[in-house]
Amino acid sequence: MTAAVLPALSNLSTLPAAFQASEVNYVAVMPLFIVFVTALIGVLVEAFMPRERRHRVQVSVAVGGLLAAAVSIFWASSNLGLTMGLSDGSTNRSLFALAIDGPALFLQGAILLMGILGVLTMAERFGGVGPDAFTPSGASTPGSPVETAATRAGALTSEVFPLTVFAIFGMMLFPTTNDLIGMFVALEVLSLPLYILTGLARRRRLLSQEASLKYFLLGAFSSAFFLFGTALLYGYAGSVYFGDLSSAISTAPLAMNGLLLPGAFLVFVGLLFKVGAVPFHAWTPDVYQGAPTPVTGFMAACTKAAAFGAILRLAYVGLDTARWEWSNALVIVALLTMVVGSVLSVTQTDMKRLLAYSSIAHAGFILVGVLAFDRTGVGAVLFYIVAYGFSTIAAFAIVSLVRQNGAEATHLSQWAGLGKAHPVAASAFAFLMLAFAGIPLTSGFVSKFAVFSAAVGSGATGTVLAVVGVLCSAITVFVYARVIVLMFFSEAPAEKVEVVTPSAMTTFSIAIGTLTTLALGVVPASLLDLADRASQFVR
Amino acid sequence: MSLALTAYGMVGGLPALAPTENPTADFSDTPLWLALVKAVGVFVYLLISTLLVIWFERRVIGRMQQRPGPNRNGPFGLLQTLADGMKAMLKEDITPAKAEKVIYTLAPMITATMAFVAFAIIPLGGTVWMFGHQTPLQVTDVPVAVLLVLAVASVGVYGIILAGWSSGSTYPLLGGLRSTAQVISYEIAMGLSLVAIFLYSGSMSTSAIVSAQSSLWYILPAFFSFAVYLITMVGETNRLPFDLAEGEGELTGGFHTEYSSMRFAMFFLGEYVNMFTVSALATTLFLGGWQAPPFISAINDNMFGGGWWGLLWFTAKLWLFMFIFVWLRGSLPRVRYDQFMRFGWKFLIPITLAWVVAVAFIRGAQLGFLGDSKLTFAGRELSVATVVIVSIVAVIALAAAWIWDDRRAQRAAAEDEAPPEEIDPFEDGYPVPPLPGQRLVEPRPRLAAEPVLSTASSSSAGGSGASTTLKEETHG
Amino acid sequence: MNSYVPILFMLGLGFAFAALSVFTSLVVGPKRYNRAKLEAYECGIQPTPQAAGGGRVPIKYYLTAMLFIIFDIESVFLYPFAVAFNKLGLFALVEMVLFILTVFIAYAYVWRRGGLEWD
Repeated sequence: MTAAVLPALSNLSTLPAAFQASEVNYVAVMPLFIVFVTALIGVLVEAFMPRERRHRVQVSVAVGGLLAAAVSIFWASSNLGLTMGLSDGSTNRSLFALAIDGPALFLQGAILLMGILGVLTMAERFGGVGPDAFTPSGASTPGSPVETAATRAGALTSEVFPLTVFAIFGMMLFPTTNDLIGMFVALEVLSLPLYILTGLARRRRLLSQEASLKYFLLGAFSSAFFLFGTALLYGYAGSVYFGDLSSAISTAPLAMNGLLLPGAFLVFVGLLFKVGAVPFHAWTPDVYQGAPTPVTGFMAACTKAAAFGAILRLAYVGLDTARWEWSNALVIVALLTMVVGSVLSVTQTDMKRLLAYSSIAHAGFILVGVLAFDRTGVGAVLFYIVAYGFSTIAAFAIVSLVRQNGAEATHLSQWAGLGKAHPVAASAFAFLMLAFAGIPLTSGFVSKFAVFSAAVGSGATGTVLAVVGVLCSAITVFVYARVIVLMFFSEAPAEKVEVVTPSAMTTFSIAIGTLTTLALGVVPASLLDLADRASQFVR
Repeated sequence: MSLALTAYGMVGGLPALAPTENPTADFSDTPLWLALVKAVGVFVYLLISTLLVIWFERRVIGRMQQRPGPNRNGPFGLLQTLADGMKAMLKEDITPAKAEKVIYTLAPMITATMAFVAFAIIPLGGTVWMFGHQTPLQVTDVPVAVLLVLAVASVGVYGIILAGWSSGSTYPLLGGLRSTAQVISYEIAMGLSLVAIFLYSGSMSTSAIVSAQSSLWYILPAFFSFAVYLITMVGETNRLPFDLAEGEGELTGGFHTEYSSMRFAMFFLGEYVNMFTVSALATTLFLGGWQAPPFISAINDNMFGGGWWGLLWFTAKLWLFMFIFVWLRGSLPRVRYDQFMRFGWKFLIPITLAWVVAVAFIRGAQLGFLGDSKLTFAGRELSVATVVIVSIVAVIALAAAWIWDDRRAQRAAAEDEAPPEEIDPFEDGYPVPPLPGQRLVEPRPRLAAEPVLSTASSSSAGGSGASTTLKEETHG
Repeated sequence: MNSYVPILFMLGLGFAFAALSVFTSLVVGPKRYNRAKLEAYECGIQPTPQAAGGGRVPIKYYLTAMLFIIFDIESVFLYPFAVAFNKLGLFALVEMVLFILTVFIAYAYVWRRGGLEWD
C-alpha cells in the first residue's frame, strides 16, 4: 500500500517527516485550559455531589472557574504568539493550532465576563430548588406524568452549568483557532450545548422543543456548509492552516479559483449562520423566542462575540489576500442584514422576537465594521461586541422578570403601562432600548459611531454601508421608541403583569449590564483604547 | 464502523512510516493471480473448517452429555454437516409477506461475506514456494490489518440489524436490536484490549505482530488483554453463554427467526466463520501466530518452524480456541441480558482502560521514557523505572482486588442476614407470602396508617414544578 | 501491486458464494404457497398487527449506540498512539493519560446518571 499512497503524499507535505512534540505555551492557553477543567469539574460535581448542595456548588464552580480564567488572561496577554503546534524546519512553515493574539484574548475576556453574567442569570431560582427557567426533563410535556416522575426521581437541572461552561469553552476557542479544522471543532463544541440548552425551557415547552430542533437542524446544515467549504479550501491550498491558505492565495494560479471562491463562500456561510446574518437568519427569531430567556441572553451576547471573532480571523488572516474576490458578497450580506433586521423588527409583537430581529440588525452593523478591513475596523468591532453583549444580557434578564400568572409575559401588549407599576425595571429596560437604538450617552452610540466611522474611512463602499447603517438605525429607533412609549405612556392591560423580585445574582447581572452600557457611553475611551491596542492579528 | 474506517485512512496515510509499522511479510514476489489463488485457498480452508467444526462441536458436546453425537453419515459422521447443508438447500425458502424483500435477502449475504473478508489478513504460515514464486502464506497484509478486522466485524453487524428489521416481525426485531447492542458493547472492550498488543509490537500489521513474537508470545506480557479478548470474542460471535440474541425461551430464534433454507444457512455459516476469524486473530495476536511452540522450535534449529509447517501450528492453535468455544457451550448456561450488559460496560471497559494505561506506563519505562538508571538483580540488568512502575501497578491491582473482595464479602454478609421475625404481608401494597419461620404481624387498620402524601416533594423542583408534583400526588 | 486488492478478492469470493447458494436454493427448493406460512412467526398465535412498539425502538438502544461511538472513537484514537508509542516519548504518554482521564470523567458521569443501567 505504501507504494500506492506515498506518491500521492509526497506532493502534499502537510505533515512533518518525523514526530516532533508540540510547542505549547501553557501560560498563553491557560484561560482555555481553566475553562475546560472547570467544565470537567462540573461534570464530576453533577455525578457525585449530593442533590441538595449541587445547585450551589455548580454555580460557584462555574463562576469561580470563569473568573479564574478571566484573571489568567492578564498573564496570557504577555505571552502573545502562535502556540499548540510546531514550525516545520524543512518547509519553513508554522503549523500552529492556536493564535493567542489581541483580538483572541480580548474576545476571550469579553466572552468570559459576559458568560459569568449569563451563568448568574441562569442560576436564578426565585426561591425554588433548581434554576427557574429550566426543566429537569426536556423531552416531556409540561405537567405530564413523565415530568412528575422525573421530578420525583430527583432529576435536577444543574447540568445546565457544565453545559454552559462547555459552550463558553467552544466560544473562547472559536476566535482563537488558527486553522479550519480547529475552527470546526470549536464551532461544534459551542453549538452542541446550546442546542440542548435551547430545548430545556420549563414553560412553553413545545415552543422550546421546536426551537431546539430547528436550531439543531439548521445548525447541522451550516456546519456541513462549513465543512464542505473547508474541504474545498483544503483542496485549493493543500493545508488547513490560515497562514498556508493566505500564502497559497497569493501564489496559486488563477485557474484554481474554482475551488477558492466556493470554498470561501461556504465557510463564510457557516460562520454567518452563527451570527444570524441575512439570509442565514431564519433560525434567530424562533430560537430566541423558544429558548429559556437567560439562555437567549447568553447566546445573543457570547455566540455573536465568538462568531464575529472567527469571521474576523478568517477575513483578516486566512482569506485576506483574496479579499477582492469575496468582499462584495459580504457587503451584500451586510446590507441585507441591516435592512431586513431593522424593517422586520418594526412588525414584531413579541418582546423576545423583537430583540431577536434587533440582534440581526446589530449583526449587520458589526459586519459593516468587519468590512472596513483595517485596524480601526477591528477595534470598532471588538468594542461593539462588548457593548452590545452587556446590554443584551441585561435586557433579556429583565424580560425574564416580567411575568403574568407565573409565566413570562413577552407579548408587547403585556408590557403596556409597566413604567407606572414598576418604574425601576422599566426605566432600566428603556435605557437599554436607547442603547440599542444608538442614542448618545449610551454604549450603543459609541459603538455605532466607531463602526461607521471606520467604514467611512475605508472608502466608497464603506461610506455606502455607513449611510445605509445610519438609515437602518433610524428605523430601529422607531421600534425601540415604541416600546418605551408603550411602557410609560399606555394604560396597563386588564390582567395584572408583575415584575418578579430577582435574587442578588440576577440583580447583579442586570446592574452590571446596565451600568456598563452607561459607562461605555459616557467614558468609552479606556475600552476603545484597549480594543484598539488589541486589534493586531498574529500570523 | 465509519469511524474505524476514517482512522484507518488516517493511519494508513501517515507518511514516513518507520520499518516496524509496516508488514514484515514480503509480498514483492506475489503476482496478482497468485494472490487470487491464495484467496481461493483460504476460502476453501475456511469452508472445510466450518464443515468440520460443526461436526466437531456436535460430537464433543455429545460426549460431554454422555451420548455419541452424529455418527451415521460418512466415517465417524464426518459428512453430517454436508448432508445438513444439502438438506437446507432443498428446503423451501420462505420470505414473509411483511418482509422488506431486498434487504431481507441482502442481510444474510452481508453477514456471510464479511465473515470471510477478515481472514484475508491472517497469516497462516511463513514464506513458502508456490508455483515458482516465493510468497508468504497469507493473502495480503496492510499496515492497519487488525483495524481492518474490527472494521469488517462492524460491517458484519449490519447483517444482524438489517435481518432483524427487515423481517417485519416482533421477535427478529428485538433479537436483532439485542444482538447489535451486545456486539457493539463488547467491541469496545475488545478494541481496548488490543491496544496493549500494539503498544508492545509497535504495529497493527499482523505479520509484523507475529514476527515480533518470535522470542515471547504476547499471552505472557499481555495476559490480561488475552483474558479480556477471550471473553469479548465469545460476546462478539453471539455464542453461548452470550447467545442472548436467540434465547429460545424469550425470543425464539432471535434475528433469524423468519429465515429458512439457504438464507438461514448463510447466518449459520457466518457465525462459524466469525468464530474462526476471532480465534485466528487471538492466535495471531497472543499465541505467536503460525510460529512453532517453544519446545518444538528448539528442535534442530527450528526445523519444524518455517514454511508449510506454520500452517500446522496455526491450525492447531486455531482449533484450541474452537475447542474452548465448544467447551463453553457444553458447560455454561446462558447469562441474563442485563447482567451481560452490566459486565461489559461496568467491568470490562473501565478495567481494560486501566490496563491500557498500566501497559503504557510499563512500556514507557522499558523504553526509557521515565529515566535510564539500571540496577542489577540476579545477574540480569533491569531498568529502575520498569521495576518501580511494575511494582506500583501490582500494588494498585492487589489493593483493588482486596477492596473488591472486601465489598463482595460485605454484600454477601448483608444478603445472608436472617429475615426479620415478623412480616407485614401488605407492607408495600402487594401481598407477600411469609418466609419459613416468619410470623405475620397483627393487621393494622388501614385508616390509622400514616398518610401517603408529604414525603416525596422534598427533592422536587421549586415554583410551579412543585405545585404540579403535589397535585399529581394528591390525584394519583 | 496494491496490498489492499486481495482483500477485495476475499470480498468477491465470499459474496459470490453467498449469492450463489441463496440463488440455488431459490431454484432447487420447492414452492408451496400457503398464506399462513408467510405470516410473521409468533409461536403459533395470531401475529400482532405491527412489530413491537409500532416499529419504534426503545431509546435505550440509541443511548448504547451513542456511548459506543464515544468509546469507539477513544479506542481508535489510542491505536495510532500505541503504534507510534516507541517514537513519541514521555510527552505523548502524558497527553494520552490526560485524554483517557477526560473520557473517564464522562464515563463516570454516565455511570452515575444511570446511563449504563439496563432494565
